[in-house]
Amino acid sequence: MTPNNSSPNTQSSSNSATAHQKKTRPPMSLASRVMLFVAVAVFVCSVALGSLLQSAIKEHFAEQDAEELQVVADSVRKILQNNNISNEQLPSALALAVVGHHGVYFQVSANTQTLYQSPGSDLAWLLTQVMPQQAVDAEALASWQSGDKTFRGTVIQGPAQSKIAVATEIDFHLHFLHHFNDALWLTVAGSVVLTLFAAWLGVRQGLAPLKQFSDNITQVRADRLQLQLDPATSPDELRDLVHAFNQMMSRLEHSFQQLSNFSADIAHELRTPLTNMITQTQVSLGKDRSAEQYRDLLYSNLEEQERLAAMVSDMLWLAKTDHGLIKPAFKPLNLRTEIQVVFDFFESLAEDKQLKLQLSGDVPPLPGDKDMLRRAFSNLLSNAIRHASTHSIISAELSYAAVGGFKITLSNYGDAIAPAHLANLFDRFYRVDPSRQRQGEGAGLGLAIVKSIVELHGGTIAALSEPVASDAVAANTVEHISRPDPALISFVIAISPSSALVQNH
Amino acid sequence: MRILIVEDELKTGDYLKQGLCEAGFNVTLARNGLDGFHLAMTEPFALLILDVMLPDVSGLRIVQSIREAGNMTPVLFLSALDTVDDRVRGLELGADDYLVKPFAFNELLARARTLLRRGASQPAVQRLQISDLVLDLGKRQAQRQGKKIALTQKEFALLELLMRREGEVLPRSLIASQIWDMNFDSDTNVIDVAIRRLRGKIDDDFSQKLIHTVRGMGYKIEAPLADDSQ
Repeated sequence: MTPNNSSPNTQSSSNSATAHQKKTRPPMSLASRVMLFVAVAVFVCSVALGSLLQSAIKEHFAEQDAEELQVVADSVRKILQNNNISNEQLPSALALAVVGHHGVYFQVSANTQTLYQSPGSDLAWLLTQVMPQQAVDAEALASWQSGDKTFRGTVIQGPAQSKIAVATEIDFHLHFLHHFNDALWLTVAGSVVLTLFAAWLGVRQGLAPLKQFSDNITQVRADRLQLQLDPATSPDELRDLVHAFNQMMSRLEHSFQQLSNFSADIAHELRTPLTNMITQTQVSLGKDRSAEQYRDLLYSNLEEQERLAAMVSDMLWLAKTDHGLIKPAFKPLNLRTEIQVVFDFFESLAEDKQLKLQLSGDVPPLPGDKDMLRRAFSNLLSNAIRHASTHSIISAELSYAAVGGFKITLSNYGDAIAPAHLANLFDRFYRVDPSRQRQGEGAGLGLAIVKSIVELHGGTIAALSEPVASDAVAANTVEHISRPDPALISFVIAISPSSALVQNH
Repeated sequence: MRILIVEDELKTGDYLKQGLCEAGFNVTLARNGLDGFHLAMTEPFALLILDVMLPDVSGLRIVQSIREAGNMTPVLFLSALDTVDDRVRGLELGADDYLVKPFAFNELLARARTLLRRGASQPAVQRLQISDLVLDLGKRQAQRQGKKIALTQKEFALLELLMRREGEVLPRSLIASQIWDMNFDSDTNVIDVAIRRLRGKIDDDFSQKLIHTVRGMGYKIEAPLADDSQ
């Protein structure tokens, strides 16, 4: 799942099209993307948190300093207000004011005259430049550097026009802050790196099941399509993918199975006429024969060849409809008329088998391809005649479907068809009884063609086999014939004019 | 009548030529599109049979060119392709008919004859007669040896078709198309049943049989040769 995992195919194709490569650069790897986002988020958060901490500590120090300065200022003020202390005693009394306050300095002045200055610092500039305040305000402290020390201080209004400048050394705080900063940024950098690593590890771990899938998928081959991934072992996020993949594999396997059955069926269907031709020709050539016998052989071969040609034509037709190469020529058609025409065509054949053809119902004209629909009805009717009980009635009914659109139902009485076979009747070369050879019938593509035609018209077709009581058969047959398993076999075409019109455009 | 065949497939070309020659036509065979085009432009033919897919110049191009040059000789296309578009394009460009491979030779023969007949104006006959079978087209009556034969509409149409093309072998698909307007190959034996019924009315009661089955190809109606009658 990293960029260097790209398949050899993409590499070779990008080599052949370097000009193209610039435009279609592979997208950033998932790990890089996640890491980039996480890095930005962690960095922003850490910086914000660090800055907050820093300012909080600074503020805290300032308040601490202010408090201390306030205490000193208060005690200085108290001494100045004390009238019992003479001017001579004042410096020694003031010197006591900062006892216990390490690094705190003050200077008292009255009317530009310095009354007292604590040793080690000159705060005269402070007294002249800063407006005296009533109390020490932590936010209004001035800070400055003097020599190699840093101070923070302010000026407080003393009694009787006097001003008190107080200052404290803050090197200690600064030193602490400096160390704190170092530690803080080190922690931020460390956490960013750690989070990135965690994200990378997470993505890698998270995508591990995909690697597993891909390993499994590489094992798929035409003969091993039954591969299914186990949804139980995959994470939630991938479960849908696993299901989709499994469904795809099932569909593929089904289609592939159909295709390979189809090939097997073709081979089987081709083998019979080919065997006939080869055997007959070889036997005939075995010794000299009369012209009559040769003619017979040629005729016999011709029949087989025509069977093959018809089969190839039908298969081609189906292949073309599969690929959308055959487009119906839609024109408004009266279905009743079309079915009547087909009935007329089959009339003699039906009479031959003593079958009665019955047409009932009517529907408004539909857009349809005349030749195709006739072919479909003809195949269906031919099938019905082939399988109908003698003396029975074959009926076609046109009606309005309950769900909208129209229904064409063609029914005949015959042997029941097992439900397992019903859905497969429209498959190419499908035989209800595989052991039975086709005699004088088509190659088994008739119903497949019907289905294709119906679908080209936007319709659907289904086969039904409904058991009927023997007496019901008797009522619908000209003459009673007992059958072991009588049923009414119906082919129902459902077609809605709108869907046919949609196909038209 | 002279027919030009343009077909690059060796065997197909040879057999088409042989078959049409034996059917009484004067056949010229060209094995590529350029030769075929040249022949069609320089010599008079009654019919052109063109393969659509030729290695050099396609049949479609040939038909287009000769039509543009004002040559209206009927053209029959042979093609391994069968899409409606192809068919429509061929016919739009001026072809008169279209046969899809594989086709039955007698189908080709029947269609060729139809095309050749199209040019000649057909005399409006009122009566068709073969041996002692008479078909009165005006009264829509059939008689044999003076006896009236009752035929259904379709049976009459079928008999008329056979008699109009006396001696020609009509393939089942052509009969289905002409009589029932079923323009597709049907795997049923409807035509055989229809012919059998017609025979039942026309031939069964008479010693001289007129309707003949040509095995593997179709049906024809023909009076037996004088020395053949028993």
